[in-house]
Amino acid sequence: MSETLRFFSDELQLMALGFMAVVYILRIRWLLKFKASRDRQAKSENMSASSLKGIVYSWANVAMPWSMESTRQMTFFYIQFVVFHVAVATNIGMSFIIPYAPGLMKPVIVVRILQILFGAACAIGCHRLYRRLSNPAIRLISTPDDFFSLVLLTVWLFASIFAAPNRPDLGEGSLMVYFIMTAFFLVYVPFSKISHYLYYPFTRFYFGRTMGHRGVYPIKRVPQTKNTAVKG
Amino acid sequence: MAVKARSHKAEKFVERLRKKLNRQLVGSLAGCVHCGMCTNSCHYVLANPDDPTYAPAHKADQIRKIFKRNIDWTGRVFPWWVHAEDIRTDEDLERLKDIVFGKCTNCRRCSLNCPMGVDFATLNRMARGLLVSVGVMPEGVAVVSKDQWEVGNQMGVLPQDYLETLEWLSDELENEFKDPAARIPIDKMDADIVYAINPREVKYDPRTITDAARIFYIAGANWTMPSDGWDMTNFGLFSGDDELGAAVAQRVYDKVIELRGKTLVLSECGHGYRSTRCEGPNWSGKGVPFVIESSVLTMLRYIKEGRILVDKEKNRDPVTFHDSCNNARSCGFFEEPRELLNLLVTDFREMYPNRAENFCCTGGGGAMSMSEYTPERLKSAKIKADQLKATGAKTVVTSCHNCVDGLTDVIRHYKLGMKVTQLVTLAANALVIPERVVVPVEVQ
Repeated sequence: MSETLRFFSDELQLMALGFMAVVYILRIRWLLKFKASRDRQAKSENMSASSLKGIVYSWANVAMPWSMESTRQMTFFYIQFVVFHVAVATNIGMSFIIPYAPGLMKPVIVVRILQILFGAACAIGCHRLYRRLSNPAIRLISTPDDFFSLVLLTVWLFASIFAAPNRPDLGEGSLMVYFIMTAFFLVYVPFSKISHYLYYPFTRFYFGRTMGHRGVYPIKRVPQTKNTAVKG
Repeated sequence: MAVKARSHKAEKFVERLRKKLNRQLVGSLAGCVHCGMCTNSCHYVLANPDDPTYAPAHKADQIRKIFKRNIDWTGRVFPWWVHAEDIRTDEDLERLKDIVFGKCTNCRRCSLNCPMGVDFATLNRMARGLLVSVGVMPEGVAVVSKDQWEVGNQMGVLPQDYLETLEWLSDELENEFKDPAARIPIDKMDADIVYAINPREVKYDPRTITDAARIFYIAGANWTMPSDGWDMTNFGLFSGDDELGAAVAQRVYDKVIELRGKTLVLSECGHGYRSTRCEGPNWSGKGVPFVIESSVLTMLRYIKEGRILVDKEKNRDPVTFHDSCNNARSCGFFEEPRELLNLLVTDFREMYPNRAENFCCTGGGGAMSMSEYTPERLKSAKIKADQLKATGAKTVVTSCHNCVDGLTDVIRHYKLGMKVTQLVTLAANALVIPERVVVPVEVQ
């Protein structure tokens, strides 16, 4: 491994990570500066209602596609969401494994699984981009940041397919591209919508607390029996 | 290029936005990823598939862009990158008014369908409140709010009219039961129940007050109605005006405290229930030292305790139940009405989707008072009409006065030929009136 690649895979990543951490800390500090409002209403008439139950349900919402009509009706979209996010998280993990624990990626089967995952996520990214351009409602709400973030992640996932074998001896180009993109990604994320996971615990916590306290969460659903459903 | 100065109203709008923001609101403003999952949860979208401006995320973005331009860092530095945009003119405020009042009923269905937990209904209510604070609102909202501030109830019912109505209702009740005790007590101290109502009942539908009085009388309840502070509805919920919300709720609470009432029972009204029971303590910033419950729960308890007897054979029409958004989606109140309904009717047909996933009657969020948006409202009601029709029921029952009006409009517009009624009316109709045993009194 050349000195340049070593720098890109190690020091540059640490610098980018450090930058991201600082911006995230500032971002959370900014959010916490806003006072959280209290819930003073009496407990729900539904005796099983509980704020704690609501918070847990709300946080777990992401893993319960049956809990929302939107995910129930868009099963394929939900599967895409899971694959895409798992791939992104794995890809971040890979940027640590390559420089610090390369042995984990020695078995060919591991490399192939990673490549399939990244390839699938890359295809999903392309599909999402198409959806963003072709669906009038989604196109209307899309900002340059939405497009750029999606393109960035898709290209980064594409680059990771070639980086996964981790064979600098066969040419360092793919690894160089991968690590430069990872560093850019880490620096850009806190300013983009990709940082939504930073807000997720907060938005879901407060929404779940209120909905749980009032007995709305967990959502109670009675399966349809005799009437025709209205397509939502 | 010089930055165009804001109009006075726009300046105040932004100034008050900064003060209004709390962590929940900021989370909802910053957390949207524009995934579009909320889109098909909105009845306006479903009824207007070719108009993407109805998408909840787009509507929320009209508020979000002001936040981004003025408060969020990325939007302040690179506004075009995240579609951040300031609000500058009075025309901008008018445009925003047509979105937050005319294109959304604050039903909260999109909030429940957002993977990120973005509560658009709360954002929309906040925007309404900010607009109201600078005098930008539909005429109907201004009129109703004024009545609630000045007269003390949202329909401008004068005290003497209210008291006279209760008086003749009492006369009818006394006549019906041939009992001088069968009257509506007013301002009775230390009552177990203080019963607060929707002014619509006094003005347009007093039979629901009689129905409730009949039930209280037969149950032998120690109850009263207050001479003032009797309006449990609250236009502050619709207008987004927390000051009005707090004042109206506190007026009701103060009266119960003055009468030393033990439980405040609210007649069937979704937004009244939410405002008085759920949001009122938050707006007034104080807890409430007595129990607040829906009359649905009171009636259910009376039946379970055997204090009233009902015969469901008296209500044989096939009925369906419409969940009020405020009851179900914002207060989790959906099982008790069904439990009661099953005791009152022989043929109950569930509507789909239901409970917290039900669609709005389309008259929510104060929409019934905003006549300028009626054509859009009725068009969006197609979803509700289809939902009602699919049940095959002849009567739709709801636990909300606002929904009664909203559904009546939908049924008339789409020629569904259904009736709308409330649980209290069904309960009163199913009542088994105990025979009065006349005990001969020995003459000395």
